Amino acid sequence: MLTAKQNLQETIKGGKPDRFVNQNEFLEFVFEAPMTSFCTGPGTEIEDEWGILWRWPEGQLGPFPVHDEEHKVIKDITEWKQYVKTPDHYKNPEAWIEAKEHVKQIDQNEKYITIMFFPGIFEMTHSLMGMEDALMALYEEPEAMHELIDWYTDYLLDYAKVLIEQIGPTAIYQHDDWGSQISTFMSPETFKEFFLPSYKKIFSFYKENGVELILHHSDSYAATLVPSMIEMGIDIWQGVMTTNNIPALIKEYGGKISFMGGIHSGEVDFPEWNEAIIKEHVDRICKKCGQLYFIPNLTQGADVSSFPGVYEAVTAEIDRISKEMF
Amino acid sequence: MSKIQEVKELVEGGKSKKVAAAVQKALEAGDKAQDILDAMVASMGVVGEKFSAGEIFVPEMLIAAKAMSKGVEELKPVMAGDSSSSLGTCIMGTVAGDLHDIGKNLVVMMLESAGFDMVDLGVDVPAERFVEAIKENDNVVLVACSGLLTTTMPALKEAVQTIKAAMPEMKVIVGGAPVTQEYADEIGADGYAPDAGSSAAKAKELIGA
Ligand code: B12
Repeated sequence: MLTAKQNLQETIKGGKPDRFVNQNEFLEFVFEAPMTSFCTGPGTEIEDEWGILWRWPEGQLGPFPVHDEEHKVIKDITEWKQYVKTPDHYKNPEAWIEAKEHVKQIDQNEKYITIMFFPGIFEMTHSLMGMEDALMALYEEPEAMHELIDWYTDYLLDYAKVLIEQIGPTAIYQHDDWGSQISTFMSPETFKEFFLPSYKKIFSFYKENGVELILHHSDSYAATLVPSMIEMGIDIWQGVMTTNNIPALIKEYGGKISFMGGIHSGEVDFPEWNEAIIKEHVDRICKKCGQLYFIPNLTQGADVSSFPGVYEAVTAEIDRISKEMF
Repeated sequence: MSKIQEVKELVEGGKSKKVAAAVQKALEAGDKAQDILDAMVASMGVVGEKFSAGEIFVPEMLIAAKAMSKGVEELKPVMAGDSSSSLGTCIMGTVAGDLHDIGKNLVVMMLESAGFDMVDLGVDVPAERFVEAIKENDNVVLVACSGLLTTTMPALKEAVQTIKAAMPEMKVIVGGAPVTQEYADEIGADGYAPDAGSSAAKAKELIGA
């Protein structure tokens, strides 16, 4: 039997995997790496190191950035420099102690040392000023938006240098939602102009410094952005929804990029979930997509589900169908 | 190019900084306020169709709506007191348990551009709040409910049923990524539209405009 890591490589390089890559089995997330602050549970709120206020009201599924006039960090994009602050929490070596301990215990024959990044570049722009302001600014104040994006890109590069020095990750799992279920937030041209160059810079830097695998999360439609994803150096697009026609994408781009997802969190991860529903979704997508360039996974990303047991049930069904199909 | 045509193109292109002046020029050239407004409504119709067809995206739609509202600002003093162009009031909100509002905001803009007076209740709106808002506002002809999470689909159902129980005649339209026509029928909503572009036509159809 191949190790989880070998099996992944066979799958994304078009070799001979001996089973489906089962969700995140080839990744070990090092969540101890210093990140900016986030809400810890319902009923909490926190202002993070960027000055963004996050609120998680009781009874809600997750946190939300607060964007009323008072709490938007950037109130006028042309004056963005006056509003932003750049965190430096990660520059203190002590912040890395726990992460380093964790890394020592990772069996690198089985798993990649993985760092998950949130927010992505686009997400940072709308966390700072709200989605509407951020999207309109791409048209109305393109120069200021380019500057803002460069500022965050520089931060990500500075962080990358320290990260590489401190723990030397072998996989990067970048979060940045680029669309809704049926379309991208912006046109592929706008995306290319504003976001491709920065990601290309960051991902190339990682690849030149020991990172073997770049995963990108966008649980949305984004088929029209795949050429840009390939150009920026993404190896695996995680979160791919079935609204993308995944088999067609595999046919067209397999070998250049692989697709991870196909099991919609919204359709299987809810309070009344059961095994039969999960089996149906797992079977359908695995049979449609086949053995290469595809990794069955919940679209939401990371190794969790909103409702207890769902993630594990999906893993069990993938194991079962692997035995049938391989 | 006629002055009205210029206004139309500025709205479609989302040139919010230039629309006000163009509207003024059209008025000076003798165009009627109502005709200018109709032209802008038609532009937003085109924008909505292009959005539904995937030719344009959220930013283009946002800037077009912003441009239209700048144009409307200019017309307001001229048209004050003239409510003949209003299709009536529409109450809109994202249902309880759900905080997503981008889709809702786009629908608010499209319905507003189509001629509805919009009352936006925001996000996380309990079912009873919709009913209260219907009572608090004049001439409410339509309620629009948005839900983006599969986990808040029961809240969408509750909203529709609470409104229908209190006011069986009130028209209710629903939408949001997980909502389908079948689901809308099942929970007793009068209408559904898959995106903001098609929401205006559906809303008008529901109220018989
Ligand atoms: C952007 C986004 C966010 C932003 C929201 C910013 C904002 N101000 O709204 C942020 C990052 C804050 C966020 C937070 C969360 N999100 Co979110 N989010 C999304 C995302 C990427 C896009 C949604 C969107 O804005 N689409 C763009 C708009 C234009 O499209 P739309 O909303 O579908 O609206 C269109 C139509 O549906 C229609 N429409 C909408 N409403 C109505 C109403 C009527 C009457 C009509 C006619 C039409 C209509 O017209 C609109 C325009 O065309 C989706 C992913 C996806 N694939 O959809 C997830 C998604 C919706 N989120 C999800 C989740 C889980 C969350 C969180 C819980 C995350 C967390 N763990 O912290 C929290 C939610 C907290 C809460 N209680 O609501 C899940 C929901 C899964 C599920 N169970 O259903 C999704 C699907 C992603 C996923 N993980 O799979 N999210």
